[in-house]
Amino acid sequence: MVMMMAPGGTLEMAKMVLDEGADAVYVGVVGWSRRGAQDELNDDEIRHTIDYALRLGKEVRVVVNTLPSSSELPMFIDCVARYAQWGARGFMISDIGAMHLVRQMLPEVHIHTSVGCGITNYEDVKFMRDIGATYVVLPYRLSVEEIRKIKQESGVGIEVFLFKTPSGGKICPGKCMMSSYFSFRRWLDANGKDHFFGSASRGGDCLRVCQTKWDFKVDDTGYQQPMTIKTNPSLWLGELPAYMAAGVDCLKVPGRDRSATLVRDIVRVYRRALDRIQECDHPDLEPFASELEILRARWGSERSKRDNRLISQAEKESRGALVATL
Amino acid sequence: MFELSTDVCNIKTLKNEDLSAYDAIYLGDFSCPEYPNNFSSNPKQLKKGLDLVKSHDQKAYLRLYAVPSNHDMPWVEELIDTAMDLPFDAFEVHNLGLLRVLQEKKCTIPIHLGVFGNLYTHETAKVLKQYGVTRVYPNPELSLKEITYIADNTPIEVLLPVHGKIPLVISETCFIMEHTENTKLCGNNKCNFPCLEDHWLKRGRKDGSSNDWSLKDTGRMTLSGKDLCLIEHADQLSSAGFTAFYVQNKGEAEGYASKVGHIYRTALERAFAGDSGIDCAPWLAELDALSHEGLCNGYYFEGAGQRYFGRA
Repeated sequence: MVMMMAPGGTLEMAKMVLDEGADAVYVGVVGWSRRGAQDELNDDEIRHTIDYALRLGKEVRVVVNTLPSSSELPMFIDCVARYAQWGARGFMISDIGAMHLVRQMLPEVHIHTSVGCGITNYEDVKFMRDIGATYVVLPYRLSVEEIRKIKQESGVGIEVFLFKTPSGGKICPGKCMMSSYFSFRRWLDANGKDHFFGSASRGGDCLRVCQTKWDFKVDDTGYQQPMTIKTNPSLWLGELPAYMAAGVDCLKVPGRDRSATLVRDIVRVYRRALDRIQECDHPDLEPFASELEILRARWGSERSKRDNRLISQAEKESRGALVATL
Repeated sequence: MFELSTDVCNIKTLKNEDLSAYDAIYLGDFSCPEYPNNFSSNPKQLKKGLDLVKSHDQKAYLRLYAVPSNHDMPWVEELIDTAMDLPFDAFEVHNLGLLRVLQEKKCTIPIHLGVFGNLYTHETAKVLKQYGVTRVYPNPELSLKEITYIADNTPIEVLLPVHGKIPLVISETCFIMEHTENTKLCGNNKCNFPCLEDHWLKRGRKDGSSNDWSLKDTGRMTLSGKDLCLIEHADQLSSAGFTAFYVQNKGEAEGYASKVGHIYRTALERAFAGDSGIDCAPWLAELDALSHEGLCNGYYFEGAGQRYFGRA
């Protein structure tokens, strides 16, 4: 049976998605996930979420998918051990060294590879399985047939986003450092935890510099209208029965940095769609498609606001002196 | 004492460029298999390139395609099979799936982890060592302090980029082709290599201030606009114990690798000889003139990648 996993960017959102029918909720830890602190939970909130989920017979995945500093790893391990003791059933991790440590220390927990692992092919999936991953998240752009083959050959849990990029383009996340090239700050807090501004890989927000308008030039001659660098992914539905038949084990609803009500409504649609697919051989998904269309528009509107906020932050941060002396 | 290396895409560049300042050459363009006669995607080119590098008494490392999709795996494996029969000094791998392939093939040639291998921690370096990795290229976001920690706490050598543009993002498709008119395609719809011209992404006030942002795009890879430069910090690098240095050459004009290489060869030799009073100003001016958008230090000193920290 496929597991639908939904985001808990706030405690309120975590409870809402569980109430709406998500089988599991994933929550980021402040400073340890690929989002800003406003979309992450502190320890009290994480414990509260775990207790709430367990009461409903559901699960919590904790997102600790930054690419940490070497010196942070002992703190990382303490964190993971604490949440596992509280009842978290799994963790999303990017750094393969950290993944290896968790597998050695906690053989019973699920390890999900993060999108930050930047997987591109079936051998990547086997590599992650070999070092201890139990679920591997696949890139947006694989075909159903490729997914089926990967599932058959690897035997590992397959996770896909309910989110797709319409065409090719830059590989994000996992292989992109454009944001931090322009705006990046690093500081240590009182506990010795490293914090980074401007790098999703390192635990701050990606500042979405790819979504501002760029001039594209040959030498010094512009020949295109100002453009963004990456296309944005969008929610999908039509191929859901085929994905499930291909052996997908886990469907991930995106949106930790969206409003709780939008994410709740998305979960509501997908829950009903998944139930319909599981109830009959030839499900009619058309009623859900029209609902999803409205949600896509809300999603796009919230994304634009977020992007504008983050790009403004990037511009503000990059205004500092570019040249200094040590 | 130390090794200075750079990269060359194909045999034409290898023949035309003066690479005498370098001890080792990374052969191939890991970002684009379509690049003309790319060592990374043309098994027939390998021996010619290898022989030429070896004739100059230099080490030859072969770069493997960084982001192979499922449909790329057969041809990449074919290239690996050919290369494993040749005396390469190492393979550079960015993709962990290919690392697994090399292990399955019982490859005995040393393996270097490339820039898109996402090396952030010493624990990752330890895992990679079990797969035959002997050298790592740390992720560009790491500071010198973090890189030093990795070097000090793993039995793996660290390659330190000292000059050239910083690889920032990679693609499976070509950004230039996606945004260029059809006239850039040959009649049979094959690539006509518009990437051989300089392509830039720019925004801002165009007044040279920090509000100006620039990136260089080579089609499937986007690089920093500014050139990473550590010439003023050569003595710090030698005293920190680094011994493998690299100049990034992909996307640069003919002559760039040669000029930069000779400057760093001299600077590093003097730094390793203990000469701490080097006047870097003439070199700095020359390197600045070679750059299109100026110089930066990447993330080595914990700021945004485009910042430059000189010596007081």
